[in-house]
Amino acid sequence: MKRRRLLAGPYLFWSVSFIIIPLFLIVCYGLTKADGGFTLENAAHITTPENLKALGLSLLLAFLCTLICLVLAYPLAMILSQSSISQSSFIVLIFILPMWMNFLLRTLAWQTLLEKNGVINTFLSFLHLPQINIINTPYAIVLGMVYDFLPFMVLPIYNVLIKLDKDMINAARDLGANSAQTFVKIILPQSIPGVISGITMVFVPAMTTFVISDLLGGGKVLLIGNVIEQTFKQGSNWHLGSGLSLVLMIFVIASMGIVNKYDKGQSGGSF
Amino acid sequence: MKNAAKKVYLILILILLYAPIATLMILSFNKSRTRAKWGGFTLEWYRSLLENEQIMNAFYTTLLIALLSALAATLIGTLACIGMQAMSKRARNILMATANIPMVNPEIVTAVSLMLIFIALRVGLGFQTILLSHITFNIPYVILSVMPKMRQTSRSTYEAALDLGASPVYAFFRIVFPDILPGVISGFLLSFTMSLDDFVITHFTKGPGIDTLSTKIYTEVRKGIKPEIYALSTLLFVSVLLLLILVNYSPEETETAAKQAQKKPGRWKIFVLRRFVPAVMALVLISGGIYYGSRGKIGGQNTLVVYNWGEYMDPAVLELFEKETGIRVVYEEFETNEIMYPKVQTGAIAYDLVCPSDYMIQRMIENDLLAEINFDHIPNLKNIGSTYLEKSREFDPDNKYSVPYCWGTVGILYNKTMVDEPVDSWGILWDETYADSILMQDSVRDAFAVALCYLGYSLNSTDLDELTAAKNLLIRQKPLVQAYVVDQVRDKMIGNEAALGVIYSGEAIYTQRENPDLEYVIPKEGSNIWIDSWVIPKNARHKESAEAFINFLCRPDIALMNFDYITYSTPNTAARELIEDDEIRNSPIAFPDDEALRNCTTFHYLGDEMDGVYNELWNQVKSK
Repeated sequence: MKRRRLLAGPYLFWSVSFIIIPLFLIVCYGLTKADGGFTLENAAHITTPENLKALGLSLLLAFLCTLICLVLAYPLAMILSQSSISQSSFIVLIFILPMWMNFLLRTLAWQTLLEKNGVINTFLSFLHLPQINIINTPYAIVLGMVYDFLPFMVLPIYNVLIKLDKDMINAARDLGANSAQTFVKIILPQSIPGVISGITMVFVPAMTTFVISDLLGGGKVLLIGNVIEQTFKQGSNWHLGSGLSLVLMIFVIASMGIVNKYDKGQSGGSF
Repeated sequence: MKNAAKKVYLILILILLYAPIATLMILSFNKSRTRAKWGGFTLEWYRSLLENEQIMNAFYTTLLIALLSALAATLIGTLACIGMQAMSKRARNILMATANIPMVNPEIVTAVSLMLIFIALRVGLGFQTILLSHITFNIPYVILSVMPKMRQTSRSTYEAALDLGASPVYAFFRIVFPDILPGVISGFLLSFTMSLDDFVITHFTKGPGIDTLSTKIYTEVRKGIKPEIYALSTLLFVSVLLLLILVNYSPEETETAAKQAQKKPGRWKIFVLRRFVPAVMALVLISGGIYYGSRGKIGGQNTLVVYNWGEYMDPAVLELFEKETGIRVVYEEFETNEIMYPKVQTGAIAYDLVCPSDYMIQRMIENDLLAEINFDHIPNLKNIGSTYLEKSREFDPDNKYSVPYCWGTVGILYNKTMVDEPVDSWGILWDETYADSILMQDSVRDAFAVALCYLGYSLNSTDLDELTAAKNLLIRQKPLVQAYVVDQVRDKMIGNEAALGVIYSGEAIYTQRENPDLEYVIPKEGSNIWIDSWVIPKNARHKESAEAFINFLCRPDIALMNFDYITYSTPNTAARELIEDDEIRNSPIAFPDDEALRNCTTFHYLGDEMDGVYNELWNQVKSK
């Protein structure tokens, strides 16, 4: 038991040198002025109305995106997990496969699809259907996020579902539970770890993205990621950018903490 | 019925996932170079892809980094999961929290923090730093895939194995490992694809002369994605798809029904999985090692490290220079002045030659980052028009530090079929007739320049009242604006998406070629004239080679080659005389007369504090 802990050693070393120490550098930048003196001003900058609005909007869009992903992914993962074994790995790979095309390219492709004279609208007008005009709005951003992050929700849930003890499900059915009851009492509770992983993997990048809002939002929708990116890139102000990132980080960690609260009691039981 | 519903659902999701991919594939057969227009079917891009060494190199680097980083991350991450399982709950939670940091952190922060640590540790930015960074952000994906599996493993079976005399290692590989294997595999695949897809982190941690596909694509966005990239993506996608089909539908399996297939995987499958795939991987690694080993180091005496805008030089020019002088050029590209500046300032990479814009040159001079150019080594300077050297004095007062390379104006591009009235004023960008048909530049200084010029103020204004007035004007304009964009004005205008767009003159020539309905005008209130010039940083290691290169670029025939390639106006008057096409030589877009330029000024560097004010006001506009 003791010796096995050592296996985490390389990881520990790695995370200290490439996660903790670099993060410490960011904290240093975030809490100092350009001349080196200590200040809280950079972090406090988040409270300006613009930044608060950007933060709120990011939160809303990320929440929406996570919700939609969850609603889409759970049934999908269930369908996938029930298919026969030889098919399943193939189907799963089908969901990773799109990521083999560069993500910048794929997001740009949505532009071609959604534009006013884009592919979808040309198709709709051909069928004499009303046009959709969501490009350059928050809807397009949510669509792009769902598109980009859906696989990160599907895979963890799927991974948990295929490991479910089939005997337990059968036992529940034998004891008279209908499918809804079996799902609520047996399948859902056991799949929570996968759902939590999925939420983390979707919510966090959705909360902090700037590329998707840039490409599909037409630069009209400012998310907190855009604010930070602009501060670093256009303003070259590393102190302010670090201060804002610091706040964002604390914020995201806090929301993840809340999510993880529901994860209690799942952590024991392993080998 | 239920099965049918499931199938329909699966198909709908697949359409959502694959629609953009189909689009990209179709674009790879598009004869026209812009994504906004279908110009007929062609296979040309697939042919030229193989000849494009830059793209193929980037592709190979991407694969190698993805493979190595995914392998390392899977190993470290899986070991960590096993180790963590043996820890107390508290220790485990702390470690899990650490694993979450790179995912919780905005990518750009992780990227900058990694760059800072590499610079602090004096690790030269290059292949190794990209690899280390990719391993860092891949590990959490492995841990998050393996950990849920680990929690589901049954402890009692493992303990039973121990009781029956199995060693812990043996028990682990027989009992636990098969259970967590799907998690490990999906962790590996996730890492591999994440690494393949990453842009932000690679961008900050890469050094000169090395590119992955992402960074290559990003630099290309400025001039439009090269169709060869679509072709490469299509090939990559199709080959992965074929490989999957091969692995999953081996002939044996289809012959002998599913029964046998479930008992043991077909021989084909074993062959492909256990022999073929590892063999290919090993081959890729070895040949890659030899390839990288054979490439010279940057430190050599006969090299020149050039840092230029994306798509800002004809590759043939580089080849010609290398052939004529024997100097090897390490060529790297940047997208904005602001990305370039910290890289030069920190001195992480010793660039020999950089091509910033006017106001950034002023900033670099003020911060003592530039070396004086020895003009005795640049006799070809005589080809540069005196007007441009004069304009350069606005940012380089004594013409000591810079040699002009390209220049242009900022103006309005409009579609003659959508705009009937004559366009001569910035005011049309506030005309409600064109609501939702206006494209604005998505950068602070360019956007404010439009508003400030319209109000009759200087575009270098530092007066807070003037800036507030400009801000309010921009806020009033916002409901009319279709999108704030930088590079995509071009494609959107070509595709008739908008009626009016603020654009650089150099892009205007290209867009007119693709869509003859477009017209470019410099508004009467005046505008911005910009000059990109060559400068030599103080820490350059090959100053004389750099001067030789500047001299080479000032040669009329070379300047003409570059003009044909970039389509941005050249300050080289001798080269302009060589342009054969009258229409272009006398084009008012490429070479406006002095009258049109009278009201145009260059941007000045206004100091960090004023930059902050501008950014603040711009954020207020953007968040309204």
